[in-house]
Amino acid sequence: MMAIEGYVLLSAGLFCIGLFGILTRRNALMFLMAVELMVNAAVINLVAFALYHGTLTGQVFGLFVLGLAAAEVAIGLGIILVLYRNFGTIDVSVPTTMRW
Amino acid sequence: MIEPVQLPDAAALGPALVLGLTALVVFVFDSARPHEPDRGLLAGTTAAGSLLALGVGVWYMIAGVGVPEPDGAGVISLFDGQLVVDQLALFFMLVTAIVTALVAIASYDYMDGHAHQGEYYSLVLLAATGMATMAAANSLVTVFLALELASLPSYALVAILKDNRGSVEAGLKYFLLGALSSAIFVYGISLVYGATGVLQLDLVAEAITGETGQHVLTGNAHDVAGHDGLLGVGIVLLLVGIAFKTASVPLHFWAPEAYEGAPAPIAAFLSSASKAAGFVIAIRVFTTAFPVEATAGLVGFDWSVAFAVLAVATMTIGNFAAAVQENVKRMLAYSSVGHAGYALIGLAGVGAGANELVLGAALMHLFVYAFMNTGAFLFVALAEYWGVGRTFADYNGLGRRAPIACVALTVFMFSLAGIPPLGGFLSKYLLFWGSLQAGMLFVAGALVVNSALSLYYYSRLVKAVWFEEPVTDHGSLAQPVGLYAALIAAAVMTVVVLPGFGPIADSALDAATAVLTS
Repeated sequence: MMAIEGYVLLSAGLFCIGLFGILTRRNALMFLMAVELMVNAAVINLVAFALYHGTLTGQVFGLFVLGLAAAEVAIGLGIILVLYRNFGTIDVSVPTTMRW
Repeated sequence: MIEPVQLPDAAALGPALVLGLTALVVFVFDSARPHEPDRGLLAGTTAAGSLLALGVGVWYMIAGVGVPEPDGAGVISLFDGQLVVDQLALFFMLVTAIVTALVAIASYDYMDGHAHQGEYYSLVLLAATGMATMAAANSLVTVFLALELASLPSYALVAILKDNRGSVEAGLKYFLLGALSSAIFVYGISLVYGATGVLQLDLVAEAITGETGQHVLTGNAHDVAGHDGLLGVGIVLLLVGIAFKTASVPLHFWAPEAYEGAPAPIAAFLSSASKAAGFVIAIRVFTTAFPVEATAGLVGFDWSVAFAVLAVATMTIGNFAAAVQENVKRMLAYSSVGHAGYALIGLAGVGAGANELVLGAALMHLFVYAFMNTGAFLFVALAEYWGVGRTFADYNGLGRRAPIACVALTVFMFSLAGIPPLGGFLSKYLLFWGSLQAGMLFVAGALVVNSALSLYYYSRLVKAVWFEEPVTDHGSLAQPVGLYAALIAAAVMTVVVLPGFGPIADSALDAATAVLTS
């Protein structure tokens, strides 16, 4: 069995890749995928820690998180669709009808 | 005393259950006649459901549900401690139900002619169910699930005006930041789980305080102190997630965008109920799961100091930004950021002495704020309904054209500013007094300075409606029944809170004491 540190490093790496994607991408779909990476990093953590602690709590919560992530993407795709209909683009930096 | 009716334990979630069931009923009504929605029926059902939830909540409060034995019926713990119904939970379920009812009544006029009435009301109710569940969540699992149940419908609600570019843009920004912050939040949960091995809040506290070198549940060898780094990072990430939900600095910048673009009743809903629900989670998670001293000993920083810094930064940035706005809705959005700062003082005070008083005052402020802020946004909804425009100048002379609504607006503005005879003054005064007693002089000073500054922009709006000359039109304006009813109800409650302040203050203080001693 791999040591717990391996899993934690993997998930921290995924989380940082996701965060990097969010900071650099302007395409809404890429943004969504980057967020998914971050959520899945958390799920890897939960499952790995569940194994480490010998309890099932983390694994069950991991399943819930996956379900919620799917629901979130569904809402997100809906919003991106109306974004495209209104602005003709899915570049998140284009809609600027409101100013700070 | 009469023997109370024996209900099953799950009935303790009554207010949340009623809200959820009403959402399903609205779905059924809508699917019966999908192409010709009866907006009166839908809005009426939503309002009736929320008022029923409110009634059930008040009944439970009077019956002593959530009050520890032997004075009351006891704190009810459900699903193996995943959900807990105590005074804090009931208090915030009431806030949610009241705001939902006001929003539903106002939406009757505001959403007139909109194509997706059924979806609108059921989403409002589902979000309200999520917020009511947030109030009772007692495990990081239920906290996250309830948070998402409240957030997902909110994203859709902000963007529900599908052909309005402002609404879609606001929905997009709210969704992107919301998705990011919930990813950060759940990552924080996973780290706390790694460090402590449990997700239930009281067990997390047990793992942090106990130095047994054993896992709390399984008894396997596990030393929390050896994972203090994980725990520290986890707590910071949880803080980020909560700062987003309560629209606090540094994650406040979505709020003005989302509130400005969203339909005004939804802006009222999000800035009152959703913010209050974010605070109940902050209070529950931080006071129950992370005891200040034990946590500070492990991770090397005191989270109540972090909240004090956030409180001062949030109220200062919110109020200064509000003072320079020309758009009324945006001014209110920044003012709601400022009020989040006042409420954060409650958590900042947990580390210092006299903490029930500060925390109780913060709860009271959230209660009063639910009325005055919802009312203020509903006035904006009314102005949008009239089509008079969005800036301060467009509101000029409205006092002569619609005096009743403008009296209500004046009540909300002066209460938000904290002028003595109104509810907003009392809760702010208690916050000030509490933070002085807790020795947080700097925070108390910032509160006073910010309140004084806020008087400037609130009274500017009052001056515009009463003393400025109308620009073009002098005719009187329409009086839509629903919006007027909701406005007047909110205004009456803002005033009535004053004589009724005793019981509210008592229950807020009890709730604060209970959550701190548990």
